[in-house]
Formats: sequence, structure tokens, C-alpha cells
Amino acid sequence: MNINATLLAQAVVMIVFVAICWRYVYPPILSVMKEREKKISDGLEAAKKADDSLEEAKLAFEKELDLAKGEAAEILDKANTRASKIVSDASAKAEAEAEKILSSAATTIENETNKAKEELRQQMSEIIIDTTQKILSSEISEEKHEEILKKAAEEL
Amino acid sequence: MASELTTESYISHHLTNLTCGKTSEGWTCDPYKVDQMGFWAFHVDSLFWSIGLGALFVFFFRKAISKNTDASVAPKGIQNFVEMSIEFVEDNVQSLFGSVKNTLIAPLALTVFVWILLMNLMDLVPVDFLPVLAGHIAYAVAGESIEWIKGPESFYFKVVPTTDPNITLGMAFGIFLLTIYYSVTVKGLKAFIAELTLHPFGKYLIPVNFVLEMVNFIAKPISLGLRLFGNLYAGEMIFILIALMLFFSSIPIGVLGFGLHLVWALFHILIVALQAFIFMALTIAYLAMAHETEEH
Repeated sequence: MNINATLLAQAVVMIVFVAICWRYVYPPILSVMKEREKKISDGLEAAKKADDSLEEAKLAFEKELDLAKGEAAEILDKANTRASKIVSDASAKAEAEAEKILSSAATTIENETNKAKEELRQQMSEIIIDTTQKILSSEISEEKHEEILKKAAEEL
Repeated sequence: MASELTTESYISHHLTNLTCGKTSEGWTCDPYKVDQMGFWAFHVDSLFWSIGLGALFVFFFRKAISKNTDASVAPKGIQNFVEMSIEFVEDNVQSLFGSVKNTLIAPLALTVFVWILLMNLMDLVPVDFLPVLAGHIAYAVAGESIEWIKGPESFYFKVVPTTDPNITLGMAFGIFLLTIYYSVTVKGLKAFIAELTLHPFGKYLIPVNFVLEMVNFIAKPISLGLRLFGNLYAGEMIFILIALMLFFSSIPIGVLGFGLHLVWALFHILIVALQAFIFMALTIAYLAMAHETEEH
């Protein structure tokens, strides 16, 4: 357990080993570790960014979807109104047409009826006059004849 | 000489280094001539393990990274361990050193930590295993040619370098030199000398200040080295003493010895790691002090 030159030798050996470690061992290991650390932190950051952009995309998507839904509803609404308008227009038109047709038909019928009545009356009165003439012959004067005709006309 | 095994010879065998040095008759590793070697002697076993384990550290850490230099591939196996150690050291350096940029500190701390950890871990190898193995190998290989190897027992081989004060103080000395170097380069020589002489008592008591500060300054590396040495030496000593229990030809004591060995080895794992950590932390702290320009 004497103190001897071993001490100096060990000091020299230590300096040599420390120098080797300092020059050739430590820096490469540390640089690999630092590089990996950087890669990992970059990766994490990228993942976080991707997450954020995903969130953003989701938000944008939802917004678009809402907008599209609103638009669709609007279009549907419009279409509905339009359809009902078309239907009501058409039905109104049809009704009017029908009414028109009906009323014209009624007028025609009335006219025809009146015409027929007039003709019938004419014919009837002629027939009646004819017949009466034939029956009465000359028994009736011109005046009386006139009177009777008048009366008959009035009665009809 | 070593044919009869006594407790005393057993213990001293475990506590003696394989020392090689220069005597009047030239270089020798004869344990009986250690006294003639003086200062210029080397503990070959301590240096062998110290250099071997240091090389192991450099080799493994270098190999771990050379396999996978692509940062996009996940690390596996030993690389995980290596990166874990580096992260651990970086954290410690960060907390003790703060914002000061010095690229040497972290590699230094890493080297010191892993190296000391490996050296301490040699303590967990059963106490007799490697010395006896080394003795037999030495005797078989060189028993004929080298006259002082008279048997496997006469070849000393200490396994745990950190139980050798030369090793721990040597490392502390290296750190001490670095401390001085950074004190001078970072603070400047003037500020460094001022720090050593101008307080605590101001400029009129410079000699007193210098003595006080010098004690403070020198005590740091000595306590750093001796703390590690003391802890590991005591741990090794207890392993040896527990191993001695097998000397008594008594089965209960032998079994108790095995149990104690296990318990102490488990506890020692804690000391091994803790002392390596303390040495590293103090290394960082002392170097951090060297970078601070104190205002008093």
C-alpha cells in the first residue's frame, strides 16, 4: 500500500482515456442521441400539426355540410312552393275553364231553348191559326181574328 | 515460505500488490525487494485492471454506437445502456455545471463514472478466484524462468484497482490538474492567485489566507481519492474476513460465511455504484468551481 509511481501512471492513463472518450466516444453517441431527439420531437410536432389540420378539416367539412343542408332545404322549399303554386294555378285555371265552358254551355242551351221555344211558338201559332182557320173558315172576321191572335199571343 | 497458510498470510496476500520496480540489480517484481524500489515502482496488477477495464469501457461504448449511427432506427441492446449512461451523466453535468459550456466535462464525468464502476465491480468477483488463477498461470508459465515465483502463492495479484490508493489518488490527481488548468484558463492566473490569497482575511494577511486556502484546495483531491479508496478497501477487507470464515473446519461457520458473503455482496453493489457516482459528482462539482469566478 505504498504510494509510488503507480499514482502518476494512473493519472496519465486516466488522461489518455478521458481524451479518447472526449474525442472518439462521446461526440458520436451524443450526436446520434441529439439527432434522434430532434427527429422524435419533429415527429411529435408533425403529428400534432396533422391532428390540428384534421380538426380544421372536420370543422370545415361540418360547415360545408351545414351550408349544403341549408341550401338543400331552401331549394326544397322553393320547389315545394313552386309546385304548389303550379298546382293551384292549374286547378284555378281548370276551374275557370270549366266554369267558362259551363257558362257558355248554359248560354248556348238557353239560346237554343229560347230559339226552339220561339220556333215552336211560331209553328204552334201558325198551326193553331191554320187549324182554327180551317175549322172556323170565314166565320170569323178580320177584326175578331186579329183579336184572337193577340189574345193567343198574350197567353203564350 | 508461503507453503503454510495462516490467516495472517492469507490477508496480507490479498492486500499486497504485484509490484515491479527498479532495484540495484535491475528491474524486478520480487515482492521481497519492494522496499528497495523506492518511489519508482509500479503496481502492475492495479494498472493492468485499470487499463483493461478502461479499454473495455472505450471499446464497448465505441462499439455500441458504431453499429447504429442512423438516428431514425430505434436503439437496442447495449446501445440503450450506453445512451442511458450518457443521459445520466448529461443530467448530472447539467444540474451541477449549469450554463457553462465545456465539452470536456461530460466525457470526463462519463469516463470517470463508468471506469470506476467497472473497477469497483471487480470487488464482486469472489476474492480468491482471480488471484489464485493468476498465481497458477504465472507459476505454470514463468515458474521456471523467474526465480522469485516459487509457487502459485508467491505471486501477488490484487484484483480491485480502486482498493489501491495509488489508483484513486492518481485519478484525483488527474482531476486536480484539470481543476488547476481550468482555473487558470477560465478565471485567469491573476484571479486564481487572488482567490487563493485574498480571502478570507483580506490583503493584509496574505500568508494566512494562502495557508488556509491551500489546505482547502489540496484537501479536495485527497479527500476525493481517499473516499473512494477507503470505501472499497473496507469492502474488500470485509470480503476477505468473511472468506476467512471458511478457514475454520466447521460446517455451521462455513455456511454462515456463505450467507454473509451473499448479504455483503448485495449490499456492496450499492456501495460500488454509489462511490462511482459520488466520485463523478464531485469531479463535476470541482470542475464547476474551477469555472466560477467567485465574488466575495
